Parts: sequence; structure tokens; C-alpha cells
Amino acid sequence: MYLSGLVKKEFGRIQSDKRTLVLIFVIPIILIVIFGLTSGGGPTAYFDTAIITRDKEPCDCYNSTDGYDDIFIDIVEDDCEAWGLFEDFESEDDDDFDKIFDKCVELLRDEIIDVFIILPDDFSETITNDTNTEIIYYIDGSDQQAKDAVEVALQEPIGKFRLEIDKTTNFTTMSPYLEYEVPFWESQVLNYAFALIASMLILGLLMNLTSLSIVSEKPLPRMLLTPTAKDEIILSKLIANTIIMILQVTEIFVMSAIFGLYCLGSLFELYLVLLMTGFCGICMGLFISAISKTEQVANQLYMMFFITVIMFSGAFIKIDALPLAMQIIINSLPLSHAIPLIVNITMKGLPIDYAHLGSLALISTTFAGMAYIAFRLKKVEV
Amino acid sequence: MRCNLISTTDVKEIVVNVENLEVSFGEKKIIHKVSFNVNRGEIIGFFGISGAGKTTIIRVLTCQISQKNWTGYVKVTNLNPGSKKNHAKILSNIGYVPQLEELNLYYDLTPLKNVEIFASCYNMKKKEALAIAKELFSILDIPEDTWNKPLKKMSGGEKKRVSMAIGLIHKPDILFLDEPTTGVDAAKRYDVLSYLKKLNRRLGTTMFLITHDMEAALIVDRAAILRDGKLLEFDSNSNLITSLPSKGLVARFSIENLNEEKINIIKQFPNVSNIKTIRVGNETFEVLMDDFEKNLSKLIQFMMEKGLKLNAMSRDVAAFRRYFQLRIQEEEEKERRIRMQQETSEEVQF
Repeated sequence: MYLSGLVKKEFGRIQSDKRTLVLIFVIPIILIVIFGLTSGGGPTAYFDTAIITRDKEPCDCYNSTDGYDDIFIDIVEDDCEAWGLFEDFESEDDDDFDKIFDKCVELLRDEIIDVFIILPDDFSETITNDTNTEIIYYIDGSDQQAKDAVEVALQEPIGKFRLEIDKTTNFTTMSPYLEYEVPFWESQVLNYAFALIASMLILGLLMNLTSLSIVSEKPLPRMLLTPTAKDEIILSKLIANTIIMILQVTEIFVMSAIFGLYCLGSLFELYLVLLMTGFCGICMGLFISAISKTEQVANQLYMMFFITVIMFSGAFIKIDALPLAMQIIINSLPLSHAIPLIVNITMKGLPIDYAHLGSLALISTTFAGMAYIAFRLKKVEV
Repeated sequence: MRCNLISTTDVKEIVVNVENLEVSFGEKKIIHKVSFNVNRGEIIGFFGISGAGKTTIIRVLTCQISQKNWTGYVKVTNLNPGSKKNHAKILSNIGYVPQLEELNLYYDLTPLKNVEIFASCYNMKKKEALAIAKELFSILDIPEDTWNKPLKKMSGGEKKRVSMAIGLIHKPDILFLDEPTTGVDAAKRYDVLSYLKKLNRRLGTTMFLITHDMEAALIVDRAAILRDGKLLEFDSNSNLITSLPSKGLVARFSIENLNEEKINIIKQFPNVSNIKTIRVGNETFEVLMDDFEKNLSKLIQFMMEKGLKLNAMSRDVAAFRRYFQLRIQEEEEKERRIRMQQETSEEVQF
């Protein structure tokens, strides 16, 4: 019966805190603008490379003097936007190859090149015979992002090479998601980053907002010396923050659309996933606030939860490669469901995966339930 | 103990009735058989040093301590705070003003917004709450131009008064105030107390003051003195003081190089059976005794015979502060004697 007044109180508190309002509504605009303005097509990274070719086989149909390796090298050198050719080497024999290899390792170590590519001695032969062609590349393994990006970037010379020789040769570096890439005329930076950035923004900001909502409310114990029940207080926080979340998600959605959101699937389903991600953030934040004794503890717990959620979102560490126990933990975190859902809807045009959406709902409910229990048990005294 | 219990046939309406209240947490007993009644419209002061049990009793009355931790007969506005189903009703009938304003007010919001928030907790209509708030703000002299400014811009005294108004916004039968004068400078302390008295007179609200501040005794109708969970006294300020030897007449002496030895000499003054001494400064102490007028000159003569050099002397009527100190001192001495008797009997047994 006191709920509407309590909800108004929550709005009053949020309204009076200008910093929170900035956090909620201005930060998403700034980030979306940054990502939006950075877009304009093109690849996600630029690679300086060296190519070592061991190919001896001349091309049988294209040019009698040149091999397919020369065509590939020319494409990397002249036709690729994501690639720049530092130098190409032709190895005569194994000794020669070893020397060139060592030189390339040095170039890589000194960051003169980002990657070097080796075309094997059967390069032309496999293309001629339409068998599987290998492209071997060496990259600085410490750069996780570059390591992931090169897989995508390699598709550019390969694609152009295929066009040039008019053959659909298989390459072992071929990436399965090539066919789901964001078209070059779309805002590629924004759209490739959208799943991670949008979910991270929504989850992070709402967790931050709610993680202090109980612990920082000093008159809360006094409020419990009124007929207001604890249930009503936590419910009012959930309702008020959910309304804020709907506004925030709508803002992110609209801003992303303005800057060229690429969505093959249903926009409504995408909006629904973003809302569910936000609701997860609210429930997690309330849980943090309910178990924290001080604002400092709440801030620390927020950071711990947020970093864990980001690290194990599947965007940085492949979940499938981890032990089963770890996979179970990761699957209990929201972004490992939200990111695949967003990617599937936006880039693959797939319908909503109810298993993932259900998982998000389950995570939200679990955290909301734990927040409720923790708040009920919390010793609140004036 | 002078506990002025009101019988049920008394015409005055009892709003708080406590009989044989005992509070324990685990093995530790915090409150020992406390009994008192409070009439509607009274101002009650709960005095005691830290750990005396003042707050614990108030927490029982305000439904903050579970029934499993206390026994006894307790009624607040005729409702038992031990029963959970009564909590909402009791909490509707009482108001609470915590020691720190920040625990009662949203500093980022205006006084009127705060009123709206707390009024909603009592399911009050906004219009009604604002009308009451304006009346309370006027009584408490809160300037009208501050009603719509954020509280953080108001002075400490103004915040204190807004906090009192919030405690009274739902027109409670009883208002509990935790250390209302703590953190307020000396000049403003009297203001706070006089505002409380003013509210009490205008609204007829029963008030409980939990305090260390002996000056609060100036406005209370009855004072409760607590020590180690026991209610030592519960009576009016004037009754307590007149219960002192010679109705509280006190002689204040200033003696050169005053020490415990010299005070013990004075305690041996042979003419009176009931003499109480209390040190009130480096070189100052006070004496209360039976037949004050008759014995004062004899006491001065006795002191001079014993070689005590008197620098100054004055006489007065004891204030509540002095009564409190003497009462606590008396209790401590009683405990010391009991302890010594126990130790002696243990030694004899050994």
C-alpha cells in the first residue's frame, strides 16, 4: 500500500543525484557516439606482414611464368585495405628458409611487422588440384585481439585471390563466420562491438546504480520504524530501477540505430534481450547492495562481479575450451548468454534462443531472490 | 527507587505500560526487571551513562527487539510490541527522531520532498502531509524560503528541526528522540529543548528523550535514571531533588590542594548521619547533608580545625545533574560494599 510513495522516493533520490543521472544517460550516448563515429566500413585491424613463399610450382592456366603464390603476394601488396606488405621472401631450400624464418621472427619481435605468412611448397599445386590449401601465419601471441582479428582479416586477400584466379579454393584458415560478417557499407566497428559494448554498458551501469541503492540509503533503517515493510522497500527499488533501465535501454537502442545498427533479425527480440540483460544487472546490483555493509564493500564487490562477468562473457576466453566446472560457472553469468543472443539476432538473423533467454531470466530471478533473502536477514537498526 | 507508577484507575491515559521488563541476548541480561508507566502528553527523559540500557528499552518499545529476547508485560498505545501483527499499528502510532539527522533525512532532497517520502510510508495523502508539515515548520521556526531548498544547504539547527518535524508528520501518540541535543552547540541546545517543549504543549505528543545531556531534565516531566540495565529512579525532577538531604541544599567549597584524603576528612564530620560529598572540580567539591542550615557553620568550623584552607564557599540548590551524579555514585559505592563483603566471606570460608 506504500509502494507508490516508495517508488516516487526512489525517483526523487535518483533525480537529486546528478552524477547518477549523468552515468545513466550520458555515458551511453558518449560511447555510442564514439563507436558510431569510428565506423564507416573497413576492417577491424591493419596488419603489416612479410610473406615467405616456398612455392615452386608454376601456374598452369593463369600465367606460365608466375605461380599462384606471386598472385597472392601481389594482392596482399596492392589490393588489400587491411594488409600492408613489408617484404616478400622466396626460399630456395631448407637452409635458406631457416634463415628467412629467423629474420621474420626478429621483425615480428621488433614489432616491424604484425604477422608473417608462409605459403607452402605445394601452394600452387593444391590450388591447381582443388585440394585443401594451407596458409600458415605467425603472429605475436601476446596480443589476443590481434590473434583473433587476423583470422577475419585474412579473409580479405583470400577472397580477392579467389576472385583473381576465378577459383573457389579451400583454405584452412577460412573462418566459419565469414558469411555473417557485417557488410562493409555498414558501421562495422559499431556493429562488431555492439554485442559486447551494449550488453556491458547496460549490465555495468545498472549494476553500478543498484549496487549502492540499499547500502547508501542512510535513512533506510529509520524508514523501517514506519509501517513500511522490508518487502515493499526492496520491491520499490526493483520497480524504480527497472523503469530507469527501460529508459536507458531505449536510449542505447535508439542511439545505436542512429549510428547504423545492423540487425538481420527481429529488432523487437533484440530490444527484449537488452531489457533482460538490464534486468539482470539490476538484480545483481541489488544483491550486492543487500549483502554489503558499507559503500566501499559494495563498490569492491561491484568491481569484482563486473570484471568476472566481462572476463567470462565468452568474448575474451573461449568457453568451450575451459573445464566443465568452469563452464557451469560461466553459464551462470549473464553475458555468456546475452552476447550470443545479440550476435545471433543482429549478425546471423536467427530467432531468439529461448534457452539463452530463459537462462538470463533464471539468473535474474536467482539474484533477485538472493537479494530479497539477504535484505530480509540484513540487520538494519537506527 | 522513587517510581511514580500510575494506577489504572487514574484519570490520565497511560500510553506506555512496562512491568518487569527483562531483556537478554544469549546468556547476557541487559535489562533487569524494569517497570514504569507513561501518561499521554508527558515528556520522559531516559538518563544514564553508555551501556545503561536506555536504548534497549526504547528498542523494545519500538518493536526493534524480537519477543524471544525479552519477557515482561509491555504495552505501547495498548498494543503488545512482542506480537508481530501489532508492529504496523504500533509503528503508525509512534514517531522516531534518530541522533543523527542524516539517518532521518534525504539531504539531497528538500524538506517538503522529505515530508512527502515519509508521509507515504504512513499512507498519508500528500495534501494532508504538506498541511501538517507547514504547521510543524511554523512551530519550529523553519524559514519558509528553505522549504524547497535541498536540505544539504540548511544549517545544522535547521536540519535538526526538520528531523523533528519528520518524526511528527503522521501525528504520532508518542515521539522517541535519541540524543536530541547531541552534536548541537551549547547555545543551540536550549533552543532544541525549548522547541521540543513547545511541540509537546501545542500537539500534546508524549515524548521519550534518550540522552546524556542533563540539561534535558529542564523540560522533562519525569526522569528515568538507568544504570547497568536497572531503573534506579523514575520520578519528576523536583521530587528527585527534594529527596536529597535538606531538599537539595548544597554547599560548594573551594579548598587549596584538594585531594581524596581531604574529602575523606570532611566525610567524617561527626554532627550528621547523612552527609554526601561530590567533587565537581580540581579544587571544588560540594556537600549535601541533613539539617543543612544548622550544620553548615559547624562543618566550616570542623574543616578549619582539621587544617583545611578554604578559598571560597557558596550555597545553592542542587540541579538534576548533581542528583544524577550522586545517585550513580551511591549505587557504585553500594556495589563496592557488596563486592568487599563477598570477598571477605570468601576469605573466611577459605
